Amino acid sequence: MRLAREDRFDELEPLLGKVTHPARYLDHEWGAMEDQPGPFHVCMIYADTYEVGQPNLGIAILYNELNRAEGISCERAYLPWVDMSALMRERGVPLLSLETSSPVASFDIVGFTLAHELVASNVIETLDLAGIAIRADERDEEDPLVIAGGPSAWNCEPLVPMFDAVLLGDGEQEIVDVARCVRDARAEGLPRAQILRRLSKVDGVYIPSLYDVVCDESSTRWGYAVPRPGTDVPEVVYKRCIPDLAATEPVAQRIIPYMGIVQDRFALEVLRGCARGCRFCQAGMTYRPVRERPAEQVIDAVGEGLSATGYDECSLSSLSTTDHSQCAEILTQLNERARQTGVRISIPSQRLDSFGVDMAAAVSGSRKGGLTFAPEAGTQRLRDVINKNVTDEDLERAARNAFEQGWRRMKLYYMMGLPTETDEDILAITAAARRVLEIGREVCGRPRKGKGGVSVSISVAVFVPKCYTPFQWAGQLQRDEVRRRQQLLLNSAQDRDIRISYHDSDVSVIEGALSKMGRAGFDVIYGAWRRGCRFDAWSDQFRYDLWLEAGRAAGYDLEEVAAEAFPLDARLPWDHTSPGVGKGFLQREWRRAMGGVTTPDCTMTSCTGCGVCPTLGVSNMIAGDRHAG
Amino acid sequence: MPGRPPIGKPDLNRLRVSFGKDGRLAYLGHIEIINTIMRSVRRAGLHFSVGNGFARRMRIQFSQALPVGAASTCECYDLYLTERVDADEALAALADSSPTALAPTRAAYVGSRLPALEAWLTRSLWQVRILGSGAGFDAASLDASLHELQEVGSIDFMRGDTPRTIGLADTLVGWQARDVDGGRPGAIDLTLMTRSSNLGALRPAVLLDAAFARPCMGGARPDSMRVLRAGQWHEDESGRLVEPFDQNLLQRA
Repeated sequence: MRLAREDRFDELEPLLGKVTHPARYLDHEWGAMEDQPGPFHVCMIYADTYEVGQPNLGIAILYNELNRAEGISCERAYLPWVDMSALMRERGVPLLSLETSSPVASFDIVGFTLAHELVASNVIETLDLAGIAIRADERDEEDPLVIAGGPSAWNCEPLVPMFDAVLLGDGEQEIVDVARCVRDARAEGLPRAQILRRLSKVDGVYIPSLYDVVCDESSTRWGYAVPRPGTDVPEVVYKRCIPDLAATEPVAQRIIPYMGIVQDRFALEVLRGCARGCRFCQAGMTYRPVRERPAEQVIDAVGEGLSATGYDECSLSSLSTTDHSQCAEILTQLNERARQTGVRISIPSQRLDSFGVDMAAAVSGSRKGGLTFAPEAGTQRLRDVINKNVTDEDLERAARNAFEQGWRRMKLYYMMGLPTETDEDILAITAAARRVLEIGREVCGRPRKGKGGVSVSISVAVFVPKCYTPFQWAGQLQRDEVRRRQQLLLNSAQDRDIRISYHDSDVSVIEGALSKMGRAGFDVIYGAWRRGCRFDAWSDQFRYDLWLEAGRAAGYDLEEVAAEAFPLDARLPWDHTSPGVGKGFLQREWRRAMGGVTTPDCTMTSCTGCGVCPTLGVSNMIAGDRHAG
Repeated sequence: MPGRPPIGKPDLNRLRVSFGKDGRLAYLGHIEIINTIMRSVRRAGLHFSVGNGFARRMRIQFSQALPVGAASTCECYDLYLTERVDADEALAALADSSPTALAPTRAAYVGSRLPALEAWLTRSLWQVRILGSGAGFDAASLDASLHELQEVGSIDFMRGDTPRTIGLADTLVGWQARDVDGGRPGAIDLTLMTRSSNLGALRPAVLLDAAFARPCMGGARPDSMRVLRAGQWHEDESGRLVEPFDQNLLQRA
């Protein structure tokens, strides 16, 4: 039921003294747009707590674009923590937006960003707390349109029963087009079904209710989606793609939180896309092509952003910042400006070569905490399989360079359960860590007592096969086997200066199952939520037993679902949406992976035929000259 | 209270700023206030001094932490500037860059060798509005309960999961309770004077929780309490209260 648009903060305020972190619910932050004249109102939601959702750059971009558009206002909402949501239900207070404390169910459009698979149960929790019908087909004519987008929208099928529309690709223009389309259609008095048909004509918009799921011998057990007869919608919905990132507003983050948030710094997106071609990486496939902001724009925007926000740290954000063709120039200039004001420049990911270390050194100054590299796999053979084009020598050179420049702590990211992985690959992880440690001790010496010595931390994630990657056909490694290999890894590290951490294999099973399932998977998610699952990304809240129970009740063994491999020629549950990367390219990459053949980065060599540029009519936009390190 | 020593660098300009904490921002914690003010200072474009430590933080010192949920009209911080600008200009720049509910109200330069604010401002005046829905207590019964507590001499309470004890002999200076709202039962204004020391600071909520838990209150509980810090002073050796902006502390241009 559509609720009335009215300020209901007075109902929330008496609860603030009774909950943890009341600052989550206050609004009135510096930069928040409190003036929300509308008359068309959108509420963007990150279905997690404020401190997790507020740093999301995607929502910040959409918030600004919508509020800039004539006649459209945009507010934010986050999912209250369990203590607050319990009190709200007890007192009959629905989920409210931050800016005007209006019920979320009073908005014209409610938009979710899907940042990862584990947000699924929180989307249901959010809709339920808001008082919006959970299933799209149960909503009334006047109810808000519920839309979604974001990095995890690529296999949105298990979630689509909740969404009226899903936005694929770059959202900054698409969200405004969608809002205008709905606004105009509503003004014309069109019924909901016709509004959705009209929305299906907007580039990059997928309307799930206009597609039927068909299951036959050509598909997996999850089937594939085809246009519903008589609907005139495309067989494949391609993503929306901004051709020139430099033409978009660079300073997105304008709201400054009061409370500490997970990435409490000014973040600037310096480039979008990555063409390194790591075969496990969904973002690397779905955000193509590579589009850089020129150095001058980055430098000016950092100055403007820091002045406007008051932050003392700036993160140059992207999938691979040190790949920016003008990275050195940018960091040199920014450091010059930052030195006098105590401002820190950071880059979130280092390239595994000497250039990466030099760039890390450029931003660290005299403060050298830890340095992180991601070899991803222990042996050269497996790194070739996953197309991680780095060698043992690269790692050793980078480590030596880093220790020589003053670092003492090194962190190495790996994955476990990659296709073709053997025990030899696992043991090679600790061997690499030992080698890095030896180099560190050789360069820095070995102190008499613990303090000041070098150390290496290894963090090992469980590989989850993701759609639109060359590994989308792979099954996930069985949970028991993951645990055996984790133990093998632990037993193989016998130096106390090597620390090992790894991801919870139970969580990975649920991520894997959600990544594989089709539309029928919604029953599992709904069942899990009914049993009490929410905040699944919080380790103290995650309930594996309830997820398995929900799976069984819906007729699925989730461990089996996650571990299921798909035939290379099968029609997949997500084939009707596309980021522009061709299925043929992905199949070819799978075959090359099995043969241990690598594929180069097209921003440094020539086109590798992924299909994005011709399909979407775009191309890589590199500001300077790129070259391998 | 053993606060930080003053930064005391004679070449730095110590700008004392007072500000309020109002409305829904009363629910901000002390760390949140500090971070918000530091960002406001950066946005204001003032030339602040930066420490030489590992983290290279802004040189700024705050008065004692205000409890979450408490509003204030009299919070203070001392900001160390490398470049002296007119105090009124600095105040205007800070006002432009601060959330309205944390707006600065006054700024003036003080001597760089004065003690750090946190340890120096030892006396607080609190105004507490207590509301209960006709629930069996009034100003007289609360007054009696507070007298009982004073005789007991200390309060045991929990801060999070940690048991704490605070003595009242030094920390509770005085109070006055009066019925308000036309004598409606359970509507009381309490004015409270507290003193902080090395042994701790008395929070109004801790005192009132203990007072309402006394048997003489007969199990009555207020529905809500609005707490406002209305004044902060330094208490000198003779017991005289010194304002943060006392004329003797101010540095003329």
